[in-house]
Amino acid sequence: MPKTLLKPDPIRLRIESDTANLKPARQTIEDYALNAGYSREDVDELGLVVNEAIANVIRHAYAGATDRPIEVTASIEGDQSDELHVGIRDWGSGVDPSCLIPKEKDPLVPGGLGLICMEKMMDECHFVSQPDGMLLKMMKRK
Amino acid sequence: MADRNAPQPDLLTNLRTEGDVVLATVRGEIDLHNSPRMRTTLLDVVARTSPKKLVLNLGLVPYMDSSAIAVLVEMLQKLRKIGGKLYLTDLQPRVKGLLEIARLDSIFVIAKDEADALAR
Repeated sequence: MPKTLLKPDPIRLRIESDTANLKPARQTIEDYALNAGYSREDVDELGLVVNEAIANVIRHAYAGATDRPIEVTASIEGDQSDELHVGIRDWGSGVDPSCLIPKEKDPLVPGGLGLICMEKMMDECHFVSQPDGMLLKMMKRK
Repeated sequence: MADRNAPQPDLLTNLRTEGDVVLATVRGEIDLHNSPRMRTTLLDVVARTSPKKLVLNLGLVPYMDSSAIAVLVEMLQKLRKIGGKLYLTDLQPRVKGLLEIARLDSIFVIAKDEADALAR
């Protein structure tokens, strides 16, 4: 495979906080990861994590509003071009969702599964507070 | 980006009863956009039929997110209250993997297919 296909240019996606945008945003990141040479399993995990992150923004940062901005970025980094970095930026309430989840989660109590997926499926995941919202930064190694 | 007014296909098809067992096939990718509709549909089915067994064939569900899992958990709890059970069949690997991460793979009754669910 030509080397250029394994390091696609960074992408920046701006969407509104409408749940109808979850699927196209997820598929955009999945396609990006496929073009970067990630395995199908990794692509599926990245797609789910991005979906969960955006859904959390819609539900918690924006309390369900459908017309607020969400910016999704993706880029390939690292000396071996083997790190896919994803950013999810919102201009919402600024609540850090990772503070809301109890240490021992009861599987029958709703909430928190998205964060569990992020922690298990990504190599790095952290929330960076912004003056006007939140930035979620994640990274998955090939 | 997405057309929120686009027509939405039925999520639950092939709904039928066999005695006090209700079977249905769920179809499509289920996420926060359509999981509320799946919830409403399933709540209606449970309320109308009060099944002893609700068998959901997920063979046509290639993708599910945590909101869809939450709907299934709610159905499980509703059925338990009326002495019923929820069976999930024909799970695709991606959906099975998510249930395992959620530690729900041992809480839901997961059957290979509908025949397996009916035989239990």
